[in-house]
Amino acid sequence: MPIPRVRPLPVTAYANLNALGGTRTDILHALAEGRSGLRPLVGEPGIETAVGAVDVALPELPSELGPWSTRLARMAAALVEQLDEPLRRARERWRPERIAVVLGTSTAGALTTEHAYQEYVAHGRLPSDYDFRRQHTFGAVLHVVSALSGARGPAWMISTACTSGSKPLASAQRLISAGLVDAALVGGFDTLCNLTLLGFAALQAIDRVPCRPFSIDRAGISIGEGGALALVERDGDARVLVEGVGETSDAYHISAPHPEGRGALDAMRQALEQAGRRPDEVDHINAHGTGTRLNDVAEAQAIRAVFAAPPPVTSTKGYTGHTLGAAGAIEFAFSAYAIEEGFLPPSIHADPVDPAIDLPLVRAVQRGTYRHVLSNSFAFGGNNVSVLVGAP
Amino acid sequence: MNESPFVSLAGMGLWLPRTPSVGAWRDGTRDETALAPGGRTLDRTNRRRASQLGRALADACAEACASANVDAGRVPTIVGSSIAEASTLLSILDTTWRRKEPVSPAAFSVSVHNAASGILSISAGNRGFASSIAADADTPAAALIEAVGLVLTTDEPVLVACGDETAPAHLVDDSETWELLAAAVVLAPLAWDGPELAKLALRLEGRPDLPPAALPAALGRNPVAGLVDLIDAVARGRSGTVRLDRGTGRGHCAEIVCLVHGADARPSDGSDRR
Repeated sequence: MPIPRVRPLPVTAYANLNALGGTRTDILHALAEGRSGLRPLVGEPGIETAVGAVDVALPELPSELGPWSTRLARMAAALVEQLDEPLRRARERWRPERIAVVLGTSTAGALTTEHAYQEYVAHGRLPSDYDFRRQHTFGAVLHVVSALSGARGPAWMISTACTSGSKPLASAQRLISAGLVDAALVGGFDTLCNLTLLGFAALQAIDRVPCRPFSIDRAGISIGEGGALALVERDGDARVLVEGVGETSDAYHISAPHPEGRGALDAMRQALEQAGRRPDEVDHINAHGTGTRLNDVAEAQAIRAVFAAPPPVTSTKGYTGHTLGAAGAIEFAFSAYAIEEGFLPPSIHADPVDPAIDLPLVRAVQRGTYRHVLSNSFAFGGNNVSVLVGAP
Repeated sequence: MNESPFVSLAGMGLWLPRTPSVGAWRDGTRDETALAPGGRTLDRTNRRRASQLGRALADACAEACASANVDAGRVPTIVGSSIAEASTLLSILDTTWRRKEPVSPAAFSVSVHNAASGILSISAGNRGFASSIAADADTPAAALIEAVGLVLTTDEPVLVACGDETAPAHLVDDSETWELLAAAVVLAPLAWDGPELAKLALRLEGRPDLPPAALPAALGRNPVAGLVDLIDAVARGRSGTVRLDRGTGRGHCAEIVCLVHGADARPSDGSDRR
């Protein structure tokens, strides 16, 4: 497929929520201090691991959205709340019908359905307030965000596992470039749940201690939760730009990455080509860097194949855990922080680094001017996304 | 009214129990042996991995690609599904909470929404664009809008496949469940030199006042049945407005101008639907 002809997309506002906190200030402090948000898992499902739980008060949904109230929906509501003023301005500037909502999630309402099913097994009936359509489906949180944001344009969820949170950026870029809408609210969310903890444990892909991306000792992921939202507009006062997005497939294996990172490499090259940038213009890479044996080596090889001299690389999974369907959105926000705040967080828990990973990892907070940052996300199904974020 | 530019509709595919092709649907012929989708274009490993939904999507995609004369190994592919692999999720929950057994890594790997999308990509060797989306009853409209965005920015054909498996027992009332179906279309730029069945534009603002077409109840409740309405209209050469949901969505519509079967002769009023 030819690379879509799109324009750089202004990001006029964004918000982030994860194990480091619910405000920009809290998250930036943690990143600057190299402080992880991962903590030992307590309680179900009884696995020895660390998780990145969101530990801030989440808003209640308004009464008319009561039947949609889940942890996922309330996390989404917390993010919409942070964008209240930019959204008001966008609704005034563009008609609400010309503002799309394109979001990502991997597990949607699995957490709520798990609790409901446990009650079903114990008592033979679902909880009286359980509603599959309003609490489980991928469209449920979409309805909540559309209602709370006042955006009435086309709306959908993307669910491509761990690339779910970054693909909406590409969709919005195409929709706006094609003249189908004028603005879009994009992002992704996921909650912790037993399904993913037990599933990744079954795949032997969960570390017992906080995940150690790129380390010789790495033994898998730590799962996290959270989300991020960004408001993108046809034009406007940009905080950062989405300059290019590459979207490819490995066509190799349903859950394992291609060993040489073939699809990852293609995605990075496409993002650069779409943006009209050379590899040597990229100042930083926020790697997918999950901490699994396979991913980190494959990604390092792919980065080496694209970049003759790779820029500083960080995995932020050691701070937040792997937030799955939210990861692409959260790490887009981290990439924007690098540009706006002028610092790169260290890739924590990487020591001792695997000698097979020949990358210039960020080992201590690094300050400077960063104008182009590449953010990678890779997923089950062999789905790969690479987003080039640029300074305005 | 906010409407997309016209694009070409280049091919179509369909899999329903006993109606395993667009031709069978149009002609009203029933194949009593077609009770489960074969997933015949999937390689053996992925056919084994695929759910009923994944196989039905594969069959619908194969028919659509063949009729549009596009290569499944290269065409960008968008899969739409409201609940996707919910039956696999339910099976994992049952394993965990009722049978108290370990989760199967194989089952977990195909519990994600994009399992079918990944299986299609791996089987076809397609290393290009693949996405998997959901929007409840608006899933067909959303998938088509995403596809039109791709067509307009790449000038290449795009495969859209929508399907939903029967809603999981235990989690929904019997009156809310539906039959398995999968439907697929290939959209292409107007300047495309391949087959062309119709021209299509999408209304980006809903028309909830427009009634949905009449489909049998268990089929009509399927969240992606709106794509069957579109295929039905094109297969019968009926130009006009087709609502892309079943009355419970936003009312997104497609305006179609049919180019085959003496199109434009009859309004798309749903009066002769099966």
